[in-house]
Amino acid sequence: MPLAVVCVKPIPDPKHWDRLSLDPQKGVLRREGIPTVINPLDKHALEVALDLKGRFGWEVTVVSMAPPDTLKTLREALAMGADKAFLASDRALAGADTLATAYTLAGLIEKTCQPYDLVLCGNMSLDGSTSQVAPQIAQFLGIPHVTHVGKVETEDGRTLKITMDLKEVQMTLTYDGPMVLAVTKEVNLPRLVNIMGILSAEAKPLEVLDAQGIGLDPSRVGQVGSPTRVRSLFKPDIKRRRKILQGEPEEVVEELLSNLHQVGVL
Amino acid sequence: MAGENHQGFWVFIEQLQGRISDVGLELLGKARELADTKKTYVGAVVLGNIPQEEASPLLSYGADRVYLFSHPHLEAYHALAYTKLIASLAEREKPEAFFVGATPLGADLAPRLAAVLETGLSAHCVDLRLGEDGILEQIVAGFGGAWLAVIVCPERRPQMATVMPGVFKKPEPGKRGGEVIPQAVEIEKNELTPLVAEFKVRERKAVALDGANVVICGGYGMGSKENWRLLEELARLLGGAVGASRPAVDEGWAPEEVMIGQSGKTVHPTLYIGAGVSGVMHHVVGIQDSEIVVVINKDLHAPFFEVCDFGVVGEAEKVLPVLIERLKEKQQVG
Repeated sequence: MPLAVVCVKPIPDPKHWDRLSLDPQKGVLRREGIPTVINPLDKHALEVALDLKGRFGWEVTVVSMAPPDTLKTLREALAMGADKAFLASDRALAGADTLATAYTLAGLIEKTCQPYDLVLCGNMSLDGSTSQVAPQIAQFLGIPHVTHVGKVETEDGRTLKITMDLKEVQMTLTYDGPMVLAVTKEVNLPRLVNIMGILSAEAKPLEVLDAQGIGLDPSRVGQVGSPTRVRSLFKPDIKRRRKILQGEPEEVVEELLSNLHQVGVL
Repeated sequence: MAGENHQGFWVFIEQLQGRISDVGLELLGKARELADTKKTYVGAVVLGNIPQEEASPLLSYGADRVYLFSHPHLEAYHALAYTKLIASLAEREKPEAFFVGATPLGADLAPRLAAVLETGLSAHCVDLRLGEDGILEQIVAGFGGAWLAVIVCPERRPQMATVMPGVFKKPEPGKRGGEVIPQAVEIEKNELTPLVAEFKVRERKAVALDGANVVICGGYGMGSKENWRLLEELARLLGGAVGASRPAVDEGWAPEEVMIGQSGKTVHPTLYIGAGVSGVMHHVVGIQDSEIVVVINKDLHAPFFEVCDFGVVGEAEKVLPVLIERLKEKQQVG
């Protein structure tokens, strides 16, 4: 049976982003105690795989790189219908930039998902928003990639017809070999988790591997293996008048208009 | 891989049917400035099916060397072919930095290119500058949007960055020297996979936001798509254009093309009015060059009130109709 691998990123729940604080020394976020959720676009990627499973009998494996306290979040992917999950988790992996992350995920896929037929990712993560990991995984795996995927169609469950939306250009591509697809929210509507899914997820395999277990080169993972560094962080220094107008709409509008007139923009 | 062997600031020039994208020219302007400081050259990399004379205007926008890959197979974008050709050129010529516009195509190409070159890449930069040590400092908004981070790639080369369109000003073309250097194009069949079955060019919609003198931006606090007409009416009265924050676009109240912020448009109007916009840094970086910033928001604790000129505390759907009425009265009198 063909195998679809779905890369899932647990991210801090956006509902609690106001509780994120920064460690300016280390240049990292303190996210202790903030629950994680599956990055929203990754659910669309998972739905593409689950559709192939439902219609053509594909198997679906979820892979991720995250701290071990995100296991619950990966269970949710299993509850949606994935068959098994592998988590790369190791202190040595912390502080990875996109290149080291992609190297790690590609290593995890090669270790646990051979032979695979398709790798799916969300087109970007809500927290990092770089959109860089999917093409970089493809490079490490030595297979093609397509990002900005708004549509995935297939008649035989083998050859995929993919629509890539580059704003000014729309390309339709076909391919029947392994590739990495990064999908947008236009691609589908992800299913909701139901109680049967939650119950069956408990029994599904969810394995945690460390860097050595995957066979990764220690010099290419985590902060050590990341070519980029955060040199410094700063609060932007935006100097503005900061004149706050409060009151009934009629009063504040009048005050606003006279202020705008004074500064010469009306 | 580091060090003095690497010279020159390179820009990937995106083009569609011979029409060169603005972001490529904007980046040429910035690369020129940085290259002058470091006394080195500017390289422009162009791929497509285009004659040499269509690439030569790049010289007048600041490039010293234009590396041109022209071939019928390059008419449509192929990630594998594009990456291989650019990577082998970069491995031979060893640029110290390489900038790519953060367009959908650039965002597809740059990460793979960085992985081939095994170097760092920062995404959606809002500024580029040189540190005292000569290392490129790449400014990105991050960490939930409240902070700006200075990203560096101290050891590997080239130092790579994608930059949002509109962040830098398009330079004025001038008479300059330089040369167009045609490159050999050798592509294997498997580098043209996945096969392009269809290639549709969409009609280019002029987005009124580009160059607008007044920008009215709606956010999640507008509450509904129906309330959008208030923004449109205000824009009409002030001769401006309507934009939107990401949450409003996500709600489907406005199209993605008018999204303002780090992953959308950067605007530089004389007057910006944000209605129901909370002002997370991802949005604020896209409007920071506005001359006057007005915010209308019912929540006094919205971060936008910290970085605006005039902040109106109130519900946008109540304040805007009053503002519109008063402007109409004024215009009738005036």
